[in-house]
Amino acid sequence: MRRLWVIIRGEDRRGRKLRGLIELLKPYRGRTTLMFVALILATAASLAPPYLAGRAIDDGIRAGDLDALYVIVAIFLAAAGVNWVATYAQTYLVNWVGERALQDLRVKLFRHLQRLSVGFYSRNKAGVLISRMTNDVEALNQLVTDSVVTLFQSTLTLIGTAVILVLLDVKLALVTFLCFPLLAAGSLAFRIASTGAYRLTREKIAWVTAYLQETLSGVRVVRAFGQEPRHEERFAELNEDNRAANMKTVYLNAAYFPSVELLSAIATGAILLYGGHQVVSGGSVTIGVLASFVFYLNSFFDPIQALSQLYTTYQAGMAALDKIFELLDEEPEIVDKPEAIELPRVNGEIRFEDVCFTYGSGDDAALALCDVDLTIPPGMTVALVGPTGAGKSTFVKLVARFHDPTRGRVLVDGHDLRDVTEKSLRSQLGMVPQEGFLFSGTIRDNIAFGKPDASDVDLEHAARAVGAHEFISALPAGYDTEVGERGGHLSAGQRQLVAFARAAVADPRILILDEATSNVDVHTEGRIEAGLRRLLAGRTAIVIAHRLSTIQGAGRIIVLDHGRVVEQGTHDELLEAGGAYARLYRDWAEQAA
Amino acid sequence: MGTFWRLLTFLRPYRRGVIVSFALAAVAMGTGVLIPFLVGRTVDEIRTGKTNLWPLALAILGAALVRLVFSVARRLIAGRVSLGVEYDLRNRMYQHLQSLELAFFDEQQTGQLMSRATVDLQSVRFFLGYGLIFILQSLVTIVVAAVVMLALSVELGLLALVPAPFIFVVAFRYGRRNRPASQEVQQRIAELTAEVEENVGGIRLVKAFAREERQLGRVRDKAARVFDQSMVSTRLRAFYNPFIGFLPNLGLALVLIVGGTQAVHGEITLGEFVAFYGYVQLLSGPVRMLGIALGMAQRAVASGARVFEVLDRAPQMTVPEEAPDLPPGDGHVELRGVSFAYEGTSEPVLRDVDLDVPAGRTIAIVGGTGSGKSTLVSLLPRLYDPSMGGVLIDGADVSEVRLDSLRSQVGLVSDDPFLFSDTIRNNIAYARFDAPKDAVEDAAQRADIHDFILSLPGGYDTLVGERGVTLSGGQRQRLAIARALVMDPRVLILDDATSSVDATTEAAIKRALAELMEGRTTFIIGHRLSTIALADEIVVLEAGRIAERGTHDELLETSELYREIAEKGAPDRRFLTRETAEREVAGL
Repeated sequence: MRRLWVIIRGEDRRGRKLRGLIELLKPYRGRTTLMFVALILATAASLAPPYLAGRAIDDGIRAGDLDALYVIVAIFLAAAGVNWVATYAQTYLVNWVGERALQDLRVKLFRHLQRLSVGFYSRNKAGVLISRMTNDVEALNQLVTDSVVTLFQSTLTLIGTAVILVLLDVKLALVTFLCFPLLAAGSLAFRIASTGAYRLTREKIAWVTAYLQETLSGVRVVRAFGQEPRHEERFAELNEDNRAANMKTVYLNAAYFPSVELLSAIATGAILLYGGHQVVSGGSVTIGVLASFVFYLNSFFDPIQALSQLYTTYQAGMAALDKIFELLDEEPEIVDKPEAIELPRVNGEIRFEDVCFTYGSGDDAALALCDVDLTIPPGMTVALVGPTGAGKSTFVKLVARFHDPTRGRVLVDGHDLRDVTEKSLRSQLGMVPQEGFLFSGTIRDNIAFGKPDASDVDLEHAARAVGAHEFISALPAGYDTEVGERGGHLSAGQRQLVAFARAAVADPRILILDEATSNVDVHTEGRIEAGLRRLLAGRTAIVIAHRLSTIQGAGRIIVLDHGRVVEQGTHDELLEAGGAYARLYRDWAEQAA
Repeated sequence: MGTFWRLLTFLRPYRRGVIVSFALAAVAMGTGVLIPFLVGRTVDEIRTGKTNLWPLALAILGAALVRLVFSVARRLIAGRVSLGVEYDLRNRMYQHLQSLELAFFDEQQTGQLMSRATVDLQSVRFFLGYGLIFILQSLVTIVVAAVVMLALSVELGLLALVPAPFIFVVAFRYGRRNRPASQEVQQRIAELTAEVEENVGGIRLVKAFAREERQLGRVRDKAARVFDQSMVSTRLRAFYNPFIGFLPNLGLALVLIVGGTQAVHGEITLGEFVAFYGYVQLLSGPVRMLGIALGMAQRAVASGARVFEVLDRAPQMTVPEEAPDLPPGDGHVELRGVSFAYEGTSEPVLRDVDLDVPAGRTIAIVGGTGSGKSTLVSLLPRLYDPSMGGVLIDGADVSEVRLDSLRSQVGLVSDDPFLFSDTIRNNIAYARFDAPKDAVEDAAQRADIHDFILSLPGGYDTLVGERGVTLSGGQRQRLAIARALVMDPRVLILDDATSSVDATTEAAIKRALAELMEGRTTFIIGHRLSTIALADEIVVLEAGRIAERGTHDELLETSELYREIAEKGAPDRRFLTRETAEREVAGL
């Protein structure tokens, strides 16, 4: 019994979360109040008909009074009319408020997501984050709209009906109420059992869908290795699992719904027996009252079923709420200090002062950079070189202030990055990621991403500067070409060039570039190299480099290994020094031969 | 209409179940309809002062019990039928998809196919499983109730039935208008989701360029669009639902007035009046249900048409009856006069290619983007059929041997290998499910991935893919190489198979690959000079034709095209390629 109570109540934290939900509704107090008014009106109006029918029987038919009958019917129709209008208002308002609240929540969640640091995104799978904003918010939808109405309407109807029945005849009311506990308990038990069963069916169908999706995505491999029969077999298995899970719900439904109908009939019989006896033996019950009782039975059973349905929606909604609040409780790693200043226009000198950086903490800690102490003069192109995991990405992330160093300081033009606002730093920063990520939209939109208020002339200028203009103007739609999801309509090389143009138009003082490794054809490769040269000129650039031409042309090469700076210098200097770089170069040269 | 009948054929294996559940439903509904009548009789008995109401009460109970038994039975049988139909439909769809050739999938969007196989299939099975029963139940209830009412009093009966057609029409119209409105809501939610997805994927860029506000604005817009469309749907619902609720009340009012007057004048008894009232209450549900079920039928027909589109598509890659296995041999590959154009394109990708590769040779195929390299090798395991000419392996035309025997002898490793959501072991043993543990680990060793696998917490039993560990490009490629090696195929195809592997690792693999290529016909497509140099011979493709053929040194001398490729060979400019990060993360 106690466990049941716990299940119904949920945990204590739920109180806080429900309050959070109500917070969402606060701006719409007015409409919410109106909605409740409409709800009460509609419920009251819906409770009238059975009573009026009973009165029609007693005062109209049995008394032979036709006028009374007409009056009652007029009231009946009026009540039905009120019900119509009130239900319209209530439906409209509850959905308006609910959907608005959801819209606000979506924007709030997204804004919060934006504030969180890059580290958070690395730790959490994209799919999970997206699910918060979509599936979980949708789960709340039902809770905030239909469920609220059902909860109040059903409860009011139940209470209203019970009150009316008691007022009509106490003893008969008690007979009617006898079935109530059984019905309530049965409905709750059914809901609890079917929640589990339905969850299982959702799981199973998700497996089926996922398997189907996978075999479609991997169809080339399936065909190439001729494994169709094996996949068919496995699919049939998953399909069968799904069927078995669904069969359980069929059993549950077959047990529950007909039983409720039976209960309703039993109640009708009991009322007729007892009430009829009362009528005949000259008791307080009239036939009209008896009729009312029979007609009211429906108003009893439907709300209880509706309330039990709420259980499932409540559970789903609460689970979603949990996850959403978990997300909202996350704090961003990097925040502007209260006294942070705006970074003035910089020359682009970067200094690492005894910098150390460790990912994670405690047992999971991974030292990524250590004892890094160097200065990069403004306008220099620095090539970062080293094996995987040497710390190249970490170095660059510290410059962009995606993380703060665990020890030491990172300074730009003498300003500690922690002392300046994020926005003022980033507005002078530009980035070209490894994969040439583009947002869906036109080429124009994407280049303008670097500088939103850029004129078309500016955009074209930037495109020309990096050598992207030729291929863009050769496209049928030119700058208005849609690039597709993640830029999928363009080739890898074309995406790179657009990404260059985007960085160029931003005209950053500090550029971070992660060289792509995808293979492109000879001509595009040449254009990329040329565009790159022009992009790097005139600003401080830190490049995670792969191209020999980039490395050779760099003002300084920084060789990293296991988080430490092993060597620094120009290509020629390092070759002469005969150290780590010279070894790497030799290995590579042997490979290429 | 033809689609409708075709849909019904899915019920054929369940004929008996369908008929039985129809019969059960009819009895259940029929008995249910008795109850208001019995209630009315009871009222009349009470009126006449009878105290022994037990017989009638028991009759009500009896009717209810009969209804219970038949209802339960009906639900169980109908449920089984419905799930059976669903099971059949899904399997049929899946099997059919697996029988279709690769060219079919090139033209389709995965999303569309998924939609056919899930949403459309669902629509069809809901109708077949439940819609038909609902229609029958509703019709039985309405007809029996109508008969009883008319028997009690013709005029009152007709009056009481008046609201029924209106309820039906309104319910039907509501369904018709509501569906596109709610689909549009889903559509807009999908657009919002896509926007969020993009932002999560590109968050580093957004932060680096400090464009948070801009992205927020876009999401705000999309969220507002969802709201607007939800309100369109809401307005429909707010109008129609109470309307549909009002109509039965109208009917009740009619019964009250006319029936009441008739009862006052003694034309009908009080009990009959009560019965009529009960019947109008009873009818509103089934009539609504009929309207909804008809909507279901419409949707099922529309979905059915789309499902049949897929099911009717005949497989175009055929194998002759009683086709033999691939004859024994060492992998002598011939292409005779092969031309190929992808479906729906006019430009052939391969033109009149003649290539004779003796068994055990390693051939490198080089050429610019779009010169036809990948297409050429995909003809070998018969992933596509050439438009003209033939492909022979060990003397047999690949289109005349059993596909499974052919494909088990041709191993393909591509540059972006697909791994299934399964253990590493199962992925490596994909082509040879019963491969012993040693064979799997041996292949992994040669692909230089064994140590990495052991470093994972689950070792060979680690899950990869969607629900498992995410691997880097280089790691996936090495697994794919292991996968091909376990097959021990006669012909091995390496299509840019080491593009994501860094130079040091490639060196390790190359030793193993060289060992494996010894004596095995191998086709290598690659960009790196170091890769190409492994081959015995090099074939240069240009615009779908073989332009040159010879050894590395020969070609350097004779072919300008080759010289260009060799010297400007892009990847050779790669100094130290590190393993590329997984696709999800854009950039750093």
